[in-house]
Amino acid sequence: MVDEAVAAEELVKKYGDVTAVDGVSFKVYVGEVFSLLGPNGAGKTTTVEILECLRTPTSGEAYIKGLSVKNLGDIRKIKQIIGVLPQEFNAVDNLTVLENVQLAAVAKQADNIRDVLEQLGLWQIRNKLFSKLSGGQKRRVGIAMALVGNPEIVFLDEPTTGLDPEARRETWLYIKNLRKSGATVILTTHYMEEAERLSDRVAVMVKGRIAVEGRVRELVASHGGKTRLVFDFLDEDAVGVLRGYGYVVERVQGGRVVVKVDRESDVFDVVALLRDRGFEAYPEVRQPGLEDVFLSVIGSRLSETGELV
Amino acid sequence: MTAVHKIVWLLFRSWMRDKSSLFFGFALPIMFLLVFGTIFGGPAPPNYSLYIRNLDTDPQGNPEPLAAAFIQALNSSQVFDLKLLNPDDPAPRSTGFAAIRILTIPKGFSASLLNNTIANRIDITVDTINRLLQMAGENLPEATRANITQGLSQMNTFKQLFKTEKKPLTLEGSPDDRLLQPIEAIINTVADRFELALLNSTSTIEINTVQTNIRQLRAVDYYLPGYVAAFIMTNGLIGVSSFTAEMRRKGVMKLIAATPLSRASWIVSLVLMQTIVSLILTAVMIAVGWMVFRIAAVPDLFSLLIILLGTLAFTGLGSFIGGVVKSAEAVTALGNTLSFPMMFLSGAFWPLELMPPFMQQIARFTPLYYFHVALRESLIAGSVSTALIPAAVVAILAMAGIILAAYTTKWRDF
Ligand SMILES: Nc1ncnc2c1ncn2[C@@H]1O[C@H](COP(=O)(O)OP(=O)(O)OP(=O)(O)O)[C@@H](O)[C@H]1O
Ligand SMILES: [Mg+2]
Repeated sequence: MVDEAVAAEELVKKYGDVTAVDGVSFKVYVGEVFSLLGPNGAGKTTTVEILECLRTPTSGEAYIKGLSVKNLGDIRKIKQIIGVLPQEFNAVDNLTVLENVQLAAVAKQADNIRDVLEQLGLWQIRNKLFSKLSGGQKRRVGIAMALVGNPEIVFLDEPTTGLDPEARRETWLYIKNLRKSGATVILTTHYMEEAERLSDRVAVMVKGRIAVEGRVRELVASHGGKTRLVFDFLDEDAVGVLRGYGYVVERVQGGRVVVKVDRESDVFDVVALLRDRGFEAYPEVRQPGLEDVFLSVIGSRLSETGELV
Repeated sequence: MTAVHKIVWLLFRSWMRDKSSLFFGFALPIMFLLVFGTIFGGPAPPNYSLYIRNLDTDPQGNPEPLAAAFIQALNSSQVFDLKLLNPDDPAPRSTGFAAIRILTIPKGFSASLLNNTIANRIDITVDTINRLLQMAGENLPEATRANITQGLSQMNTFKQLFKTEKKPLTLEGSPDDRLLQPIEAIINTVADRFELALLNSTSTIEINTVQTNIRQLRAVDYYLPGYVAAFIMTNGLIGVSSFTAEMRRKGVMKLIAATPLSRASWIVSLVLMQTIVSLILTAVMIAVGWMVFRIAAVPDLFSLLIILLGTLAFTGLGSFIGGVVKSAEAVTALGNTLSFPMMFLSGAFWPLELMPPFMQQIARFTPLYYFHVALRESLIAGSVSTALIPAAVVAILAMAGIILAAYTTKWRDF
């Protein structure tokens, strides 16, 4: 049996009239990267902060390595094995990279400062003031502060929000390395690509509830729909031919034509068929992804800024 | 405990690198001490400014001898800063707050003084001889007595030759000049002595001035503890509150709160760090006070305790503000709104006696009042007994501050 790192059971958190978390249950296993994917205000931060012992749930239970987040004695033990990067974290401006990581290390009584700084590519700039760093470097300092002390379970709340694409990709690399080192990672994000690339398992969270949860591949297979060939233009006769062979063909806006196929090998069959009949056929092939899962489960898309559209 | 001292060190480094906290924490109080200590507390006692218009001159325009001597006598009293006006100079006009007072010596002052002095001398002589005659009584032969009486009446006639009109001095000044009357009294004293000297006599009543240890605060003595207290307050109310709010906003508090570090350790670190800042401020102010004004204020244990209590009170209040008020701007605004009026109302910046009575009553409602009074009594006056009650009030405020800080420094459910 695989060890459970985290178990959330029917967590509920109310702020007055607002129910931020509305009966959330999931498990995270040791060594995996687990993502909470959802739009702004879905309750992701509230959920992870309950797990980090920073918030008291209104009801429900949560366990970190079998220790209850509601038990004072357990909380002390939990805090010794977790590392936390809060959302929109910024370290102390007037301290250097090294001093900021020292601050976290002192609080955790950790001594692997140098390892962590090297691991995150910060050793060379350790004596730079935090306020003088680039956005990507700042985020890495935050991750270093979360990682110092070698926590077994790491919480990263929107680790790449606000970064430019390059810095984001770079940060993904460090998170992947983290997974290799054997840590359990729970990350929240509203970036599809981030969840898809980094996580073993994803929970899609909307309005305080988990809409769907599972391995990325399995989710795509069961909710992502079919592989699609998208033609910018296709002759009406060609559509007739394809329909004649039993393919599902749709006209969508802008005169474009979408052909859905069950298997990837069907893509070649469709193209070959059209070319044999003398039609020009240069389709764009779209594999289903988390985006399609999201669209089919939630009924809307997630924008770059994390809004439902 | 090792965690606490490392955190204190890190917080202190961050504080030292912040330009505005250095400015408000050190530079400003030093500037205040230098500026106000110099303006209000110059080492020499103030001279009263006095213009003299001498109309008693000879045809060449030189002052007559007794007029010149009288001016000299006023000058050597060292009370006045004398400025001479020519007879037809217009009256000087005041620029700023300096009071204008003009002493006019009339034409004929010398002559009148000389003649009247001779007349006075004759009076004194006649009077003295009359007394001697009375004392001699029957022992004096009748003829001798008649002779003398004859001579006395001749002297009285002689005196009439010298008796002349008195030429009074004129002292002009503003009705708002509260020093005009004391100055008139001083001029009177100088004039009396001058007259005695003309009569070849000296005053029989003398004053010996001896310097004892009667307590008298100089301006710097007042300002130094006032500024130390006031800036310990601003460090707490403005510095700690904005630091606390900043740490919360940046998520540093969350990151730290999710570690095994206890809430108490964090609060203790913050208080210790502020205590170091307070002690450095005190040391620097004392050093400047000694170098520039020669104030020898050596803090004893009791003064240090008062500084610690004041720091606790205002650090506590500051972290309360930073913990409760949501936006960073509002935190700074509230810190400023509490600090600045308190600086001026509490009497930390100028002696309360200079303020109207109702303002003096208001001062007693400000926490800073008790802090600066306790610190002054203990640090400058070295008087534990008078520092005790205000220090007790500061101790209560310190307790309240710590309770507030403990209550609002949240480790969960921010
Ligand atoms: N301290 C609080 N007091 C009151 N309401 C809160 C508080 N924190 C969060 N909420 C509300 O709870 C809901 C969930 O917020 P939460 O921050 O958990 O969402 P999120 O998924 O992390 O969103 P985001 O992507 O914007 O970070 C929101 O409606 C939010 O306004
Ligand atoms: Mg969030």
